[in-house]
Amino acid sequence: MDTIIEKEAIETLERRAERRSDRRKAIMFGGAALAGIALTSKFAAAQAPAFTDADYLNFALNLEYLESQFYTLATAGVLINDSSLSSPLSIDSGDQSVKGGTVVTKAGVNAKITPVAFTTPVLQDYAGETATEERNHVTFLQTALKSAGAVSVAQPNIDLFNSFNALAVAAGIGATFDPFADETSFLLGAFIFEDVGVTAYTGAAPAITSAAILQAAASILAVEAYHAGSIRTRIYLAGTAAQDTSTKIAAARASLSASAGGAANDDIGVGTDSTGAATVVDANATAMTTSRTPAQVLAITKAFFPNGVTGNIK
Amino acid sequence: MSNKVSELLQGGFHSRRKFLAGLGMGAGTAALMGCGSDSSTTTPAPTTTAPATTPAPATGPTDADILNFALNLEYLEAEFYLFATTGQGLSAADTGAKPGATTGGAQVSFATPAIKAYALEIANDELQHVRFLRKALGAAAVDKPAVDLTNSFNAAAVAAGIGSTFNPFADENSFIVGAFTFEDVGVTAYNGAAPLLKDKTFLTAAAEIMSVEAYHAAEIRTLLAYGDPKFLALSTQISTLRGTASSSVSGGNGADETAPSSKTIVASDSNSLAYFRTPDQVLHIVYLNATAGVVSTGGFFPSGLNGTIHASAK
Repeated sequence: MDTIIEKEAIETLERRAERRSDRRKAIMFGGAALAGIALTSKFAAAQAPAFTDADYLNFALNLEYLESQFYTLATAGVLINDSSLSSPLSIDSGDQSVKGGTVVTKAGVNAKITPVAFTTPVLQDYAGETATEERNHVTFLQTALKSAGAVSVAQPNIDLFNSFNALAVAAGIGATFDPFADETSFLLGAFIFEDVGVTAYTGAAPAITSAAILQAAASILAVEAYHAGSIRTRIYLAGTAAQDTSTKIAAARASLSASAGGAANDDIGVGTDSTGAATVVDANATAMTTSRTPAQVLAITKAFFPNGVTGNIK
Repeated sequence: MSNKVSELLQGGFHSRRKFLAGLGMGAGTAALMGCGSDSSTTTPAPTTTAPATTPAPATGPTDADILNFALNLEYLEAEFYLFATTGQGLSAADTGAKPGATTGGAQVSFATPAIKAYALEIANDELQHVRFLRKALGAAAVDKPAVDLTNSFNAAAVAAGIGSTFNPFADENSFIVGAFTFEDVGVTAYNGAAPLLKDKTFLTAAAEIMSVEAYHAAEIRTLLAYGDPKFLALSTQISTLRGTASSSVSGGNGADETAPSSKTIVASDSNSLAYFRTPDQVLHIVYLNATAGVVSTGGFFPSGLNGTIHASAK
């Protein structure tokens, strides 16, 4: 065995671990806090609102409305309830008592846009796949809530224009950002959402009481992680400019999360670390993804929901 | 990893509850659709998920059994990626007192810097997963079982109709196909196991590790979509093989494979939910055994897994 090579390999891996270690420490406490929330029955019941499984599914539904609108605009130029779609979705509450909110696009309120002009067929395929999957998640959650005897929430008001501009300023990537301008912009726009969805689902998982609902939530979580992994792989392939932008966006997300009690630097962009390894996975030193509370998720996504989200978790 | 979380994890074993009965998660989604939340009002009590019809205390696997099952899979993945990137497997410090031997494995000559960067990242992630699980399990951690990275791939090649041999270390494209063999399986294994975990801290950890495996899976599937169609075709054959082995026993959510393509980066069902598998199904895959019945060795684990969960019940 070549001990020098072995030593170098170990040192390389340790340097890499150190790079993420700050985040790890903070996340450890975050994880402990999450576990604490899930186990409050004996210790601190008063601290945690008693949200039901349905509340968590409705919270997730808000995020799926947002994602599905983004991808459907990118690929078809229309909203998810547009009659031109083969299977338009309902954005109203499950009992029809509340009408779905509006979506601000770069063309106006509830206005169609020109879909992203994809130049890479493989990426266009993927965008179409993701749009379908996010719409399926909306339908699944609406159906699951109904089957559970609960009422699915209506779509909140969504902003997919001013929000991106505000984030661009916050992230220091310019005065404006149009994720529908071209396919690389689309990648970065998608990047904003996907990792956040992962952290939201892992954050909620321990609070869910029904094994069947937990199984469903975990299965959606995995799909969001597939999405995030694919988007980040493509950002890596897109080159250092896109990678650098993703790093700035990740820092902005971390800052927003921290404003709601999230761990410092709980996010990492796409790039290459000092060991030559890629950072496709948005993970900490122990190679685990971050978990965020609903409050942290809402702090990150606030700009996209100008009037907040619908449901009990808001 | 901080001592704090280690203590937390260790403490979790002391307070671990008896495993709930009714392990069959095969009807998980159906149960969700039909019954909905079985406890949607208050903070969870330990016994809320135990079926009322259970005649006697359950004797299923403990959380430690499940985490050890996962540890076996992480040993396998870590060996594969560490050999591919460094030419060596896990160090003695990471494999326990009496580890099994590893057959095969070699450093891959990467021609594309990005693919090497991805491989380095995944190798470290899997190493960190081994270390995390070993630390979480403490003295209960099983040693690395014997792993075969040569005859296993050859047998898989024959079974999948690829040819008489397959060397995943031959070149970077073969490496991607080799990686594909594992990653989606890891997702389904964690997804199936997550709802079985009693301790919420372990559940969160499992969800976070599953997310990382899904990032990896998407990364590999994305690279296949961008790469030589020849290797995408090989992966499709492997996907079919996995599905055949998995479906040799009941459980999970039925047809549990989605062949990779530019339009199917995500492996998920018609609701766009990721698949989940029972330990029995995973065992049939990693033992490369598509014949229903008890199976306890073979394929990637010539001497079987270490730990309580090592032989399929059917």
